[in-house]
Amino acid sequence: MNNINATIIAGGMCKFGVRQASYLDMVQEAAKDCLDDLPGLTPKHIDGLLFSSTFVGRRSCQANTAPVIAERLGIKPTSICARLDVLCAGGSTGILVAKALVESGMAKVVLVVGCEKVYTPELWQIQYDEIAAIDHDWDAPAGIGPPPIWFAAIAKEHMKHYGTTREQLAAVSVINYGHGTTNPKGHFQKALTMQEVLEARDVAAPLGLYDCCPLSDGAAAVIITSEEKAKELSDRPLVYIRGGSQVSLHSVSANWPGEHLGDWAHMKLAAKKAYESTGLKPSGIDVMQVHDCFSISQIVEVEELGFCDKGEGGPFVASGETKIGGKIPTNTDGGLLSVGHPFGATGIRQGIEIMKQLQGRAVLQVKDAANALTHNLSGANVEHTIVVYSKEPKK
Amino acid sequence: MTENIGIPFLEGHYSPTLDLWPIEAKEFNRIHTFYDNLKEGKYTTTKCKGCGHISYPPRVICPECYSDDLEWIELPTRGKVITFVEKSIAIPIGFGEPLIDAWIDLGKDSPVRHVFSRVINCESGGIKEGDEVQLVVFDVPGHPIEWRKEKWIAERVYFAFEPVS
Repeated sequence: MNNINATIIAGGMCKFGVRQASYLDMVQEAAKDCLDDLPGLTPKHIDGLLFSSTFVGRRSCQANTAPVIAERLGIKPTSICARLDVLCAGGSTGILVAKALVESGMAKVVLVVGCEKVYTPELWQIQYDEIAAIDHDWDAPAGIGPPPIWFAAIAKEHMKHYGTTREQLAAVSVINYGHGTTNPKGHFQKALTMQEVLEARDVAAPLGLYDCCPLSDGAAAVIITSEEKAKELSDRPLVYIRGGSQVSLHSVSANWPGEHLGDWAHMKLAAKKAYESTGLKPSGIDVMQVHDCFSISQIVEVEELGFCDKGEGGPFVASGETKIGGKIPTNTDGGLLSVGHPFGATGIRQGIEIMKQLQGRAVLQVKDAANALTHNLSGANVEHTIVVYSKEPKK
Repeated sequence: MTENIGIPFLEGHYSPTLDLWPIEAKEFNRIHTFYDNLKEGKYTTTKCKGCGHISYPPRVICPECYSDDLEWIELPTRGKVITFVEKSIAIPIGFGEPLIDAWIDLGKDSPVRHVFSRVINCESGGIKEGDEVQLVVFDVPGHPIEWRKEKWIAERVYFAFEPVS
């Protein structure tokens, strides 16, 4: 048994939104922001590169993107140089894989960078590519690739089974957009009123425009290294990648693992595994970033993560428990709803916010935060990924 | 510019990376029987002859016991709408409006209890929870195949559900 513990020591991102830039431009911007975050850190310190993206290869006739990026960033990897595609959880997957590589001793300093270039020269391809995000032969032809359809069905079922209201859905958007007003790199910096959310046009009822995260270009990067190396490179408080989980129980929608669409059995399992593997419980988590791709998602997620009883996610969020000062401050940088969701970059963006929270340098700081988690779902809710961060490694 | 070098589809060439439909032809797909059965109005999947496990979608191995001795069985072609969604904006090219999808209960005796399917032949607002729907098979565009010096267009079908009138 080795005694290496992986830590996150630096992070940065480019401006998210509708960008006049290529994916390679944005990756460079994010890597620069990441290295600028820790003075003294240079490309020469980095021996491993993990690149997270689902669609950049589809945007052009380009495969094997990791060496392309390594070259542009001036990195010459000697331990790992690879791309990961886990759609919305690719960034978190990169962080978990980097942890494993560092703790095995194979890699010393890994740059995990994620990027998505969503906007194409012709806009039809954006919706069409989302079809590629689900099981091609069995779900894509049903037209359920564009995710609002799937999540609108989840919202209707959650309302039916638990009495969740339209206003409770809207509360998620109001709160997360509110947090996002403090984040200049997010897609939006706009405070929303309940009325604006309720009166916005439908995307797929009951979900309106502000219940859905925007389509965003963007890139984000972090550095994962050993505790020993972290002490050498940084004077900041150590933030450990304490553990995590990744659960996939199905792909085709017909094999949905829950009792109904508002019951996310696969996420419940991911949460159980993440807590067991880190020795923590929900009551020990001080701040989190969850996958608010839609307002309904965050409501189900606070339930399956164990912060309230099943079915109580609506009242829990609407009563302010996910704000700063609430039971579990959530999506403190604005979340997917306000910051945007460039798929492969999102888990990394969440990791940066958590690193800053645990180092005491977040913009909306949670006082004395010591343990935290991030969560992503992927595709049509077919995979759940949790990363647990802590100021202490697992004993 | 005199030639479309580097953009084959401008000269009418097929690219599977932007094809929504399955490549169903037997030259490329060992479960082509599913689509052959669809053409006869049958909704089918595979059952393991060894352990009896029924899989959906169909397989070439049993995911429970890894036997490759499988047989085709029929699934119900009627179900009831549990919930449905109508997408209002940003509908993918080719789908047209309205784009309606439903979570359908195929019944407690069906080995595949639920499917999430498109509902076609249905007007906007034309469906509600509890409605009965039935399988409908339709033609979708074929694609070219080059195989052992021969070229042809592979015809294809797909399925959805429609209201029972």
